[in-house]
Amino acid sequence: MIEAQNLSRRYGDFTAVDGISFSVREGEILGMLGPNGAGKTTTIRMITGFLPPTSGRVTVDGKDLLDSPREARRQLGYLPENVALYTEMRVREYLAYRARLEGLSRAEAAQAIPVAIERCLLGDVRDQIIGTLSKGYRQRVGLATAILHNPRVLVLDEPTVGLDPRQIISIRELIRELGRQHTLLLSTHILPEVELLCDRVVIIDGGRIIAEGTPQSLRESWTGNPSIRVTLKDGPADAGEALDRIPGVVGIALLADGAWRLECERGADPREEIFRAAVANGWTLLELARERGATLEDIFVRLTTHDAADAAVTPSMPDEQEVVS
Amino acid sequence: MNAVLATYLRELRAYFFSPLAYVVLFFFLVINGFIFIGMVSFLSDPRAQGGSPMTYFIPATGFMSLLILGVALTMRLISEELRSGSIEVLMTAPVTEGQVVAGKYLAVLTFYAFLWLPTLAYPLVISAYEKMDWGPVAAGYFGLLALGAYLLAVGVFASSVTRSQLLAAIITAVLILLLFLLSWFGDVFNGAVTKQVFEYLNLGTHLDEFAKGIVDTRRLVYYGSGTLFFLFLATRALEDRKWR
Repeated sequence: MIEAQNLSRRYGDFTAVDGISFSVREGEILGMLGPNGAGKTTTIRMITGFLPPTSGRVTVDGKDLLDSPREARRQLGYLPENVALYTEMRVREYLAYRARLEGLSRAEAAQAIPVAIERCLLGDVRDQIIGTLSKGYRQRVGLATAILHNPRVLVLDEPTVGLDPRQIISIRELIRELGRQHTLLLSTHILPEVELLCDRVVIIDGGRIIAEGTPQSLRESWTGNPSIRVTLKDGPADAGEALDRIPGVVGIALLADGAWRLECERGADPREEIFRAAVANGWTLLELARERGATLEDIFVRLTTHDAADAAVTPSMPDEQEVVS
Repeated sequence: MNAVLATYLRELRAYFFSPLAYVVLFFFLVINGFIFIGMVSFLSDPRAQGGSPMTYFIPATGFMSLLILGVALTMRLISEELRSGSIEVLMTAPVTEGQVVAGKYLAVLTFYAFLWLPTLAYPLVISAYEKMDWGPVAAGYFGLLALGAYLLAVGVFASSVTRSQLLAAIITAVLILLLFLLSWFGDVFNGAVTKQVFEYLNLGTHLDEFAKGIVDTRRLVYYGSGTLFFLFLATRALEDRKWR
């Protein structure tokens, strides 16, 4: 739906975005993740046509943003980071104004406005003056204007920033709801948001894409093999050798607290075999648990912390020391 | 066209719903009321030389009204969009900078004309007691509208170059003052052509002409091209914002 090719943007000598290419596929929710100042907002402004790129090009639904800006923009709904509304207008009036600005006919607007009000749960405040609304409601008004002309793509820049926790939850629910009918590009620096909402993630730092994939695949590619923690009563001497022979186990380690960590093949889950081995050998199984892999947060912090960029890829577990390997 | 109309209606609504408009309207009418009373009592004096009331009224109110309204009505027009960031949702809609400038300009021009409307009561009052020559009245009001159209374009331009309303107001005020006092600069130069150019551009004496009932097409050409020039600059200023 959105195709960004080699986008760059310089402000004077400063390069905010440095050759970013990515695509947003039809129907997905793509998360754009990055620390503050990574170039997310600049990228988004180029995609929405607010800023022209210094180099590179953007197409929305196959239409080039610079060659045919109107056609491209018609397919875009945009919620900027700071939702600036005309505070002296009433919600309904503002939506009517936006509908006209988007080029909707009177009849189309009469149909679209109640739908937008309903979808963004603005029914209670439709006649209220925007200046009197809370930030959460203003965000919803912003979302309502973004979906008014029924665009195929919604671009949301930090939609939950500055909201209280309850407002955040309701805006996220709304976003997930909108994601069913629109292709979504969502920028955020809040990780749980990405894990909760996004089908795919692009991680940006220093104006470049440093990682890309589904939250699942990112986690897998950055955490190494899955591992299982096994604790046996009295630590039988032959246990290590027996555990190592179980299919799917590629390496074992005895930890300082007497537990074994079994490194497994990707996708393998040999817990049942471990249980059977314990029964067959007469061991008492005290603990059998899959270890939590790295979260997206670990990956994000590792990728975007510059002085630790060269650090090892496997997550370090400071509370456990390996004594055998 | 739809986008121009949408911007126009929204700005017009903003004028009528903001307290600033009514404050301006109130003081505008108070001051003009005083000018009218002063003019009537002056002309009622048996020793007065007489003459068309418009030749007294227009010069008395003209410069001050144009300066104050030119500044007060235009200063927030675009700079407020730049400051609040609403420019971002505005310019990502399928509209062009030119359409936005046109819509906003037409709205301020409409509101400006609306402000003068109540003062038409003055000639009506006089015509109830005296025979009124409507020619100079029509010419005088036409002149106020034409000159206003030009100076409001100057204000729209000033508002498009800064996110500060105050700075926009100052720039507008200085430009309007300059346009009224250009003949002074003309005197500085000895060259006849330079002097002529400055005299042509100078607005100071134009209102007197209109008040006498003279509609000089050279003036109209000048205002028309000046209006387009400053609106063009405003559009370019909005476009330029992207490239910095």
